Amino acid sequence: MNTRRLALGSAVLVVLALLATVGLIRHVMSLEYRAPYRSDAPQTTPRADAVKDAAEAQAKADREKPYVEETYRRFPVVGSRVAVWVLAQLHLLFAAFVLAVPIFALIIEFIGWWNRDPRYDRLAHEFTKLLSVSFSLTATFGAFLLFMLVVLYPKFMNYLTHVFSPTFAPYVLLFFFEAFFLYTYYYGWGKFHPVVHLLLGLGLNLVGTAIMLIANAWLTFMTTPAGVSESGAVISTWQAVHNYTWMPINIHRLIANVAFGGSIAAAYAAYKFLGAETDEERAHYDWMGYVGNFIAICAFLPLPFAGYYLASEIYAYSQTLGLTMMGGAFSWLFIIQAVLIGSLFLGANYYLWLGMGRVDASARFQGYIKYLLILVAVCFGVWATPRSIMATVSETRAMGGASHPQLGYLGVMSAKNTAVNILILTTYVSFLLYRRSARTPTVSWARLGNRLQTLIALGAGGVVIFLGVYGYFVEAKVRIGLSIPQVGSVLFAMIAVTAIDVLMYRNAKSLGETHWGRIHPASQYVLIFLAVTFTWLMGLMGYVRSGLRQHWHVYGVIRDTSVDAFTPTLGFATKVVSATVLCFFLLIGFVFWLASLSDHKSSGHGEAS
Amino acid sequence: MKVPVPLRIFALTVATTAFYTLVGQLVPQKEVQPPKETVLKKDMTPDELLKAGREVMEGKGLCFTCHTVGKSGALRFPDLDGIGARAGSRVPGLSDVDYMAQSIYEPGAFIVPGFNPGMPTINKPPIGLTDQEILAVIATLQSMGGKVTVTLDSKVWPLGAGAAASAGAPAGPKS
Repeated sequence: MNTRRLALGSAVLVVLALLATVGLIRHVMSLEYRAPYRSDAPQTTPRADAVKDAAEAQAKADREKPYVEETYRRFPVVGSRVAVWVLAQLHLLFAAFVLAVPIFALIIEFIGWWNRDPRYDRLAHEFTKLLSVSFSLTATFGAFLLFMLVVLYPKFMNYLTHVFSPTFAPYVLLFFFEAFFLYTYYYGWGKFHPVVHLLLGLGLNLVGTAIMLIANAWLTFMTTPAGVSESGAVISTWQAVHNYTWMPINIHRLIANVAFGGSIAAAYAAYKFLGAETDEERAHYDWMGYVGNFIAICAFLPLPFAGYYLASEIYAYSQTLGLTMMGGAFSWLFIIQAVLIGSLFLGANYYLWLGMGRVDASARFQGYIKYLLILVAVCFGVWATPRSIMATVSETRAMGGASHPQLGYLGVMSAKNTAVNILILTTYVSFLLYRRSARTPTVSWARLGNRLQTLIALGAGGVVIFLGVYGYFVEAKVRIGLSIPQVGSVLFAMIAVTAIDVLMYRNAKSLGETHWGRIHPASQYVLIFLAVTFTWLMGLMGYVRSGLRQHWHVYGVIRDTSVDAFTPTLGFATKVVSATVLCFFLLIGFVFWLASLSDHKSSGHGEAS
Repeated sequence: MKVPVPLRIFALTVATTAFYTLVGQLVPQKEVQPPKETVLKKDMTPDELLKAGREVMEGKGLCFTCHTVGKSGALRFPDLDGIGARAGSRVPGLSDVDYMAQSIYEPGAFIVPGFNPGMPTINKPPIGLTDQEILAVIATLQSMGGKVTVTLDSKVWPLGAGAAASAGAPAGPKS
């Protein structure tokens, strides 16, 4: 009984204890800190209302914001035009170098293979050594340029895509093949059969040229558009590619690239010559510089003719465009061009004359140099004479107009065409003298050959001067056509005299040695001066080719409505060109330095082994 | 002290570049702005119309890129001096206004002897003058040696629509 009571009592106690524990816990929990009671109703103030309204308005505006295609974006500090200008020019300079070097490297390699002369193979390899880093820089600047164009000129790029999208995939594919050929050509040097290696070089050149043709289509279309309707809709992509200035630019660029590439390669040789420590090195780099400069000048001589073809096509497309170039906003640019080309001719001739110092028997020709120098200087002066002169009112009255009464006659195209043709002939004669300085012909008809050559050269000079003077007395229609026989007579003279010379100097008797490396160091600075001048000239002419469109992105089709639509002063343009040229030379200096590092590595290995 | 070769090359590069930059500063400096629109109002006085026409010719019309006024000799394009007087006798059957309108709207139709064709169609891009601007230009051309009959209300193109405008200017003897 007691046990039952005890059990019952225990159960009651347990229940009571449990209830007490729960009660205790609830009590303790009720003592926990609680935030003071605040009303859930919003506490509105004028500021809070305004913030809320603003947030709602912003959210609404965000939801309803319409998509508007941007026409232009602004590049900080220098503006979009200058940014794109510098990038495009740097891309083009490296591209020109990368396209040009394989052309003459292949020819030199071929000569070496054909004549079994390893010196030429080494020279070609040395030229090619400059390519791989330059190719990377070309691609980098190309990509940078594309991004900048897409970002800064989105609407215009959209239009170009509309016209040229079918050309984009082939361009990229060709770029891939360019990389393939370039790297196999360079790294495969001496590792393939010579014929296979030459074919790789040929492939590299073909692909490189094809890339240039496509890119030229884009830029020439902007100046002389074709294949589109008046509103800009595409009618024919092929016509857009094959516009008025496409082929002239293709030819002009191909030749100019070789001239430029030759001059840069010659500058590399000069850099190496000046730092050379042995006579052997000096001899090699003197020869390399001579070859590079020879290539540059050979390509440079026909360049004015290609330029004439380009200008005539611009006139054929639009007289207004042609006159804007030669008689309007850009007319004074051609005076700057005359200074540059005059400097090139002077430098090229001076280098040839200095080069005679390395030939034992050259003294007999050195007497002619002063006459050649006078001719070069006179022609330079004529070419650099402007038609109209900036003068004060009193000076203008004294002259009877903006043109000088006598010198003004030298400012017109008749005089300038004559001057440039005589300059070309003079430079050619300088080269001919240099070529002959160590040899004398042994053929029986040498005297006749010499007289014939003299007659042809003087005849060509006479034709050029006669037509130049005749141009002052005929109407415009006839005068414009006179440039062609002037150019033709000079070309004929150069080809005919060279042909006679080659035949006449076959088995010629040597009068002395050519001592490569025995040349005044000033000659090497002349080579660098020529390279800088070529580069600056490319920058300047790139500006006129592009700036000619003035306030049009695509001439007569897409108007430039940006803040940069105006044509800047020539002073400003030359500053941009100079900045670009300095950037280029800093970068190409880096390329030269890298190429030299591989020399050190090679010689280091040589010593170790 | 011997100057290192790279430094000499750098100095030569900078000096050459600086020389060409200097040449660039020595030539005349002109910033060419895009052509401004000339305001043409219906109630313009004849003098205002001629002034506006001259503005169009100097600016948007680009006329003086090729043409001269008062020059002679071996010119590339016809001089405009006296055009108002001789326009009516250029082409048989065309009055001065007809001739000027045809030269502007259809420039290849008649080429002045001794010159090459080269005049662009002025009412189309890149020049793209409006009909009103062309009327102002024709009035200005008429004023160069002739009598001004064209107003902004005249109809000069297509040919035949301008009878009213050219009525006041007898065509004169045809050459």
